[in-house]
Amino acid sequence: MIDLRLEIDPLPIVEPLVVRLRDTLASCETEHDATLVEANGTRLEYDYNGFSLGLRRRGNESFDGDVILVFPGQRTAHRLIRSASPHNTFLVTEQCDQLCVMCSQPPKRHHADLFSQFALAATLAPLKATIGISGGEPLLHKERLFSMIEAVASIRPDIRFHVLSNGQHLSRDDVARLVSIGTERILWGIPLYAADGSTHDRIVGKDGAFDKLERGLAILMKAGALVELRTVVMQQNKDRLGDLADFLFTRMSYIEVWAIMQMERVGYGRMNWASSFQDTSIDFVGIAKAIDISTARGISVALYNFPLCSVPGQYREFALSTISDWKRKYLDICDKCDSRTACGGFFEWYSHNEGFASLGAL
Amino acid sequence: MTVFPLKFRPAAHGQVLFADDAGGFFRSDEDFLFRYAHDHLTDNDNAFLLRNGHAFEEAGDLAYAGFEYRFASRLYAPGPLDYVILVPTLRCNLACGYCQVSRVNEHTPGFDWSDETLDAVISFLGGITTPKMKIEFQGGEPTLRLDILKKIREFCRSRFDRCEFVVCTNLQEVSDEVWDFLGLPDVFVSTSLDGDVATHELQRTFKSARTAKFVENLDAAIARLGSDKVSALPTIDARRPPEPASIIDAYTSRGMHSIYLRPVNFQGFARKRYDARASASAWNAYHTRFIDELVEHNWTADVPAEEYYFVHCLRRILRAGHNGHVDLRNPNIVGHGYVVIDHDGKIYPTDEARMVSRVGQFDLSMGDVFKGMSTATVDALNQEASNNFHPDCVHCTYQAYCGVDLVDDLSRYGRIDVPKHETDFCQRHIAIFDKIFEMMYSDDAKVRKSLAIWAGVPNFDASLARWHQ
Repeated sequence: MIDLRLEIDPLPIVEPLVVRLRDTLASCETEHDATLVEANGTRLEYDYNGFSLGLRRRGNESFDGDVILVFPGQRTAHRLIRSASPHNTFLVTEQCDQLCVMCSQPPKRHHADLFSQFALAATLAPLKATIGISGGEPLLHKERLFSMIEAVASIRPDIRFHVLSNGQHLSRDDVARLVSIGTERILWGIPLYAADGSTHDRIVGKDGAFDKLERGLAILMKAGALVELRTVVMQQNKDRLGDLADFLFTRMSYIEVWAIMQMERVGYGRMNWASSFQDTSIDFVGIAKAIDISTARGISVALYNFPLCSVPGQYREFALSTISDWKRKYLDICDKCDSRTACGGFFEWYSHNEGFASLGAL
Repeated sequence: MTVFPLKFRPAAHGQVLFADDAGGFFRSDEDFLFRYAHDHLTDNDNAFLLRNGHAFEEAGDLAYAGFEYRFASRLYAPGPLDYVILVPTLRCNLACGYCQVSRVNEHTPGFDWSDETLDAVISFLGGITTPKMKIEFQGGEPTLRLDILKKIREFCRSRFDRCEFVVCTNLQEVSDEVWDFLGLPDVFVSTSLDGDVATHELQRTFKSARTAKFVENLDAAIARLGSDKVSALPTIDARRPPEPASIIDAYTSRGMHSIYLRPVNFQGFARKRYDARASASAWNAYHTRFIDELVEHNWTADVPAEEYYFVHCLRRILRAGHNGHVDLRNPNIVGHGYVVIDHDGKIYPTDEARMVSRVGQFDLSMGDVFKGMSTATVDALNQEASNNFHPDCVHCTYQAYCGVDLVDDLSRYGRIDVPKHETDFCQRHIAIFDKIFEMMYSDDAKVRKSLAIWAGVPNFDASLARWHQ
C-alpha cells in the first residue's frame, strides 16, 4: 500500500496550501513550485518561495511533479497528485445522500470546501492527466464543482476528469453548461445496480433514487456526456444482471462502457461483506450472460477489480487491472502466477479467508 | 404507456417476427398480433413491450430517449472525406469474363493517368484536411503503374498523419519492385480468388500455366506479407458456383478466415455476357447453402471462418451504429466520405457510379480533378437515399437493419422508382435477414456456436432473440 500522506515539518500558514514539488529549479514553472535543495537521508528540504519546506520520505521515493496539500498546523501533507501515477483522485466532499451497502467511503455530515485548492492542484497536474473526482456525492456541490472544472479547463484544456456521481442532481438546465464545459472533458462514473427500482433503491439505501437516476441519465444523454455505467456485483443483484443488460441496451446504448465491479472490503463494504460479497470465482453465470448479451449488441463491457484467476478463461479479456496502485496488493499464490503483471490484484483490505474460494496461479 | 409502431413478418411454425423503427425485435404468435392490431394488449404484453424497449411511459423519459438514441445511431452520417479510390490505369493483363470495371487490354494507349492528371490528383489530395487517409488503388491492374503508386504514397505520407494503402491486384505478374512496394508496412493487398483453383481458372486465368503463376504469387504474398495483410474475394457466378466446401478450404487452408462472397456484378463487361438481372434467387439459394457449410465447418475447425457480409448484416441487426460497410447504409449518402477518381481524372461517388456513367446510362460524375468537385448531381440522388419514409420500406420488418443502393437500382433498372421488392437489392437483403433470424431463433448447437463466433461473444445467449407469449 502506498501512503497518500507525507510527514512534514509544520508550516507557518493560515490557509490550506497547495505546492508542487520539483527536483530541479529548471523544472519550476509557477509560483506554486518548491525546489528540492537538500536530500539528507529520509529528510528532503525544499525551497518554496524563500521558505523552507521539509518532508520525510520512505525509501527512495521520488516526489518530482507531485502536488501536495498542507493544512495549517498539521504534520502531514496530502499527496493530491502523484505525477507518476494514473490514479489521482480528489475527494471533494464526504457528504452523500445515499447509504449504499457496499460503500467504501461512508459519508460524513460535515463538508470542508477545498474546491479552490483542488482547482489549483489540477492546473499543476502532469500533461494530459485524468483526475478522479470522488466523494461522497460531488454533485451535492454542483455549482462549486462545475466552477472548478471550468476554471481548470480555461487554464489546462488538456486535463480530463472522471467524476463518480450518483447522477441524481442534474437538471435540464445543466445540459447547456455540460456542453460548454466540453463533453469530452468529463467521464461520468454512474452506478446502477438493477433494472428494477426497488432493488436499486434498497442497495443504495434511498427511496426514489432509481427514478431520479433515470432522469439524470436521460439528461446526460441529451448533453452527449460520456458515461461509464458502474455496477458492483453483490448477492443482492447477481441474478438480475441479464435484466440490467437489457435495460442498458434499450435505455442507455450511449454509454462508453458498462463496468461490472467487484466489492471493496472497506467501509460499509466491510460491515456488509458477509451479506453482500458475491463469490464470482465459483458463480460467474450472471456476469457471463451480461457480457454475452451486451457485447453482441455492441455495448462495451469491462470487469473492474476482478483478479484474473477468478474469471473463466473465455471472459478474462474483459477483466481490466483497475485497482489503484496505492491500495493494491497481491497474495502468496500470486508469486507463482505468470499473469501477475496483467492482473490488478486485490484491494489492500481484501481478506482471503472471507474472499474468493476458487483462485490459483495462471 | 405508448407502444412504438411495430412491423411484423411471418416466421416459421406460425410465429411472427416483430420489429420497431430502432431495430428492437422479438418473436410472438398470431394471437399477440391480433391483440396488438385490435388494441387489446394485456398487462403482460405491456410489461414485456416496456421492458424490451418497444414502449415508453412519457415523452422524454429514459425509455423514450434510449429509443431515440438507438434510432438515431442507426442512421449513417458521412464523415469528412478520408477514403479515396484511385484508378491510375484501366489497362489489365487479364480479361476476366465478367470484369466489373470495363478494363482495356494491357497495351492499349490512352487509358492511364497523364502527368497532368497525376499532378491534379495530388493537388486534389493536398486539399483534403483530415489527419488520416485511406487510398485504394484499383484498375485495371494498378501495379502496371507502380511509378504512380509510389508517387501517391510518398505524397500522402508527407501530407497526412496516418495513411493506409490498399492495392487491388490480380497478383498475376509481380515484379521484384512490386513485391517491395506490397511489402511496405502501410500497404495492404486485396486480390481475387474465385473459390477453388479450378473455378478461378475457368473465370479468370483460362490457362493452367497462368493459374499456377497466380496461385504461386498468392501463396507467396501470404507467406511474405502475412495473412492479415492479404485479403481476397471470391466472385461467384451463381449459375455455376463452386461447392461451398471447396471455397472454404481454398481460403482457410491459406490462413484466410474471412470470406466475402461477391455475386458476379451486372456492370461493365459482365452485362454483355451474363444475365445477372434475374439472378437474386439463385444467389440467395447459394448464399444460404454457403452459410450452412460454414456452420458445419466451424463446428469442428480449430480456427473458425466467416462470410464477411453475412456477419456484417448479423451485427447490423444486433447493434446500432454498425455502418462500416459502404454497400449497406441508411441513408446511403454518397460522394462525401469517400470518392473514386477514374483514369481520366473524373470523380465519382462510388465504383458502381463510375461504371453506370461509363456505359452511358447516366452521368453520375462529380466533376474532375482539374476543375474541382461538385456534389450537385449526387446530392439530388442523396435526397432519395433513405429508406425511413420510403413507401415500400416503412412497413418492412427489416427496415432498421437495411439500407438503400440507388446506384445499383439505376444500373439494373435505369431508374430508382422500381418497387423495392422487385429489386435485386431488396430480394438479396430480405433473404439474408430471413436467414439470420431463422438462425438466431434456432436451438441447433452448431448454429449457436457459429452465431457466437460471428457476434464476437463466448456464447450466443438465448435472450438475444427474445420470445413473447
